[in-house]
Amino acid sequence: MTIDRKNFRLLGALGRRDFLVAGGGILSTALLAACESRGPKSAEKLLRYAERKNMVVERALFRHTVMDVPSARAHDAGNKLPSYFISETVPIWDESVRGKWALEVGGLVGNPLKLTLEDLQKLPRVSYRVNHYCVEGWTAIETWTGCRVSDLARLAQAAPEAQFVDFESFDKGYHESWDLESAVHPQTLIAYGLDGKMLQPAHGAPARLFGPVKLGYKNTKFLTRVMFLPKANGGFWSDQGYEWYAGV
Amino acid sequence: MERVRHHWIVRVTHWVNVVAVVIMVGSGFQIFNAYPAFARKGELFCCYPWAGQPIPGWLTFGGWLAGARNWHFAMMWVLVVNGLVYLTFVYLHGEWRDLVPRRGDIRDSVQMIRFYTFRRKDHPSHGKHNALQKTAYFMMPIVGLLLVLTGLAIWKPVQLAPLTNLFGGFVWARYWHFLATIALIVLSVVHVFMVFTVDPYSIRAMITGKYDDSLSPEARNARPFQNLAPPRASIRRGAPTPPDPPSTT
Repeated sequence: MTIDRKNFRLLGALGRRDFLVAGGGILSTALLAACESRGPKSAEKLLRYAERKNMVVERALFRHTVMDVPSARAHDAGNKLPSYFISETVPIWDESVRGKWALEVGGLVGNPLKLTLEDLQKLPRVSYRVNHYCVEGWTAIETWTGCRVSDLARLAQAAPEAQFVDFESFDKGYHESWDLESAVHPQTLIAYGLDGKMLQPAHGAPARLFGPVKLGYKNTKFLTRVMFLPKANGGFWSDQGYEWYAGV
Repeated sequence: MERVRHHWIVRVTHWVNVVAVVIMVGSGFQIFNAYPAFARKGELFCCYPWAGQPIPGWLTFGGWLAGARNWHFAMMWVLVVNGLVYLTFVYLHGEWRDLVPRRGDIRDSVQMIRFYTFRRKDHPSHGKHNALQKTAYFMMPIVGLLLVLTGLAIWKPVQLAPLTNLFGGFVWARYWHFLATIALIVLSVVHVFMVFTVDPYSIRAMITGKYDDSLSPEARNARPFQNLAPPRASIRRGAPTPPDPPSTT
């Protein structure tokens, strides 16, 4: 059978309208996906809505008793753990300028605290070999040593209305707030030790927050204040569009 | 002879799926580009030779990591709900009979390949779909299920640790998620290629539902780019149309 021009026109058996509809649909989805688009502006509201609904699901899924347990065969990251901060240079607490570093615990608490590094080290000490889940997609296994945020909450007598905890740093205003359940998870630590050594400035010295139940960016380094709050207080990355909950 | 080939639920879920999959793949690529590798820090990964090579920007969607994540985590519900509606319908309405593998599918697939590679002259006769098509359409929901499960595994590697461990831990679950995406893309690209080069009349069937069996690839003896036009017999007014193909294999 030969195909001539005349026959080809009969391809119109498809229906011109149908072809246009199909072609238009395929083209517009292709265009939508192309050119590194952020998608339509009007979708922003819908995405926020989905994020709120996802959080409901994620909080329902959260179990206080579920621990992060990396495989024993997996290698530790050691010095391959990326260092990250938002200041131009590694933030270092200069005692000659700012005085002795102390962690302030405040907000809705019966017993506000100011804890020096020595004070923190006197609190019940725990170590966990856990995963660091970065929002970018990589993971790194490290052993973190410190005291539990739950112990801090008990010591400071956090009020029952304090359902959120904000972790503030001296890294150019960086902070991230957490839901209380995740903050008092047994593996959520105020860490001052990394892989058996004292925490170095590259990873948030003198003390930082570390919990495997949240993505890396929720774990504030270079801590200055732990505030127990009745409402969530956003965070450095969550205010820019990253999920606030960011549980894993 | 014209008849309805696809129920409206199948047509609607098909096009919703097109939009959802395109956005999921585009935003998934954008997310992947934030760390276009699989190795855990301090380790090497055996099975990905292109580590560090980002996927071209024009294939990505969401603009930046946070935007892509927001799209990915919103669209995943559309994909899952839409998929469940489709599968429930296909199960309750009996369409699964046209899709599940059967004894003889391998033999029929071999015949289809022989036909497409010009080692067989006439188009093998078949039911609603040919054996190769059937296999592809059956694979898609399976790949989809794998995508959803591996997706959950890397979304919640702590809270859903048993699931993540089932796929070999976070690093491997992320790798399976990526491979399943590639599999879905291959299936979809071949599907679209075959639609346009073998059976463009099926586009209409997926929009209005109507399909003319006298224009089927079997009736036209169509290979990719071959016999796209309707057979001469059916063009002449009043000419007898070929008999309907049997409705089941």
